[in-house]
Amino acid sequence: MTVSHVRMDNRLIHGQILVSWNSHLKIDHLIVTNDKVAQDPMQVTLLKAVTPIGAKVSVLSVADCVKYCQSPESEKENIFIIAKFPEDGCELVERGLSIPVLNLGNQAFVRGSMKLSNTVFLTESGVKALKKIHEKGIKITCRMMPNDSENEFWPNIEKTFPDWVK
Amino acid sequence: MISILVVSHGALAEGMLDAMQMITGPQEKVLALGLKETEAPEDLIDRIREAADALDDGDGVLIMVDLYGATPFNSSSRLFMESSHPIEVVTGVNLPMLVEIVMSREGVSLADLLQQAYQAGQEGIKLLPDTIRKGKTL
Repeated sequence: MTVSHVRMDNRLIHGQILVSWNSHLKIDHLIVTNDKVAQDPMQVTLLKAVTPIGAKVSVLSVADCVKYCQSPESEKENIFIIAKFPEDGCELVERGLSIPVLNLGNQAFVRGSMKLSNTVFLTESGVKALKKIHEKGIKITCRMMPNDSENEFWPNIEKTFPDWVK
Repeated sequence: MISILVVSHGALAEGMLDAMQMITGPQEKVLALGLKETEAPEDLIDRIREAADALDDGDGVLIMVDLYGATPFNSSSRLFMESSHPIEVVTGVNLPMLVEIVMSREGVSLADLLQQAYQAGQEGIKLLPDTIRKGKTL
């Protein structure tokens, strides 16, 4: 399989991905993964209809996403996965998706979340999901754009949310 | 009168209304909404819905967004699909489009105004005419 990038981004497919990430990675197949989104026919229609970059677009449950990425079909593709929340990223890994890096993209403010940066707000459950990802030896980055630093970001999360990483 | 809602990334929409009113004078039933860096798409849908509800006098709302496939577009499209209000969406808003449309929105149908916006946006992009270029070749 050739998953070149996994991004956790609650905006799903949007301007930064279509413009900056696509020109950086030359995506063949964009997979949006989140169980709730995959069951929302209106959102599936929208996501599939409007992506203008010529890449194939799929909207899959997390389980189906992992299954697809392990199938022979996926081998010839350059796949970019957009998981909606850190919890989805964690589930991808727990279901057996093998990937060295998970990237934390936009996470808007939601009730109960706290600020990590101007574009990333995390809930306790999100921080716990990131901790599990980290404990599996996977590097976590926090890159909105392709030229942002690829450094390991976990220490910043640990430092910002000391009570939630316990 | 058909209402105009401009939805963009950041402060572009607000700046466009400001620029437009320098040309047309003050306008009623126009509103700008900007996606904030920290904002969830679902929250933007709510803000667009509330703005459209507040603006609409029954003649409908034309939503002009900045970029195809991006969050302001996605959220407006979602509202288009969900809403029972007369709403239309056009993307690639530019100043020629906005100026022409705010001046043409009385006594026309929403469908016709949408077509006009689509054309005005494209026709607003021009190169310098030959009379100005004179000898200077491209």
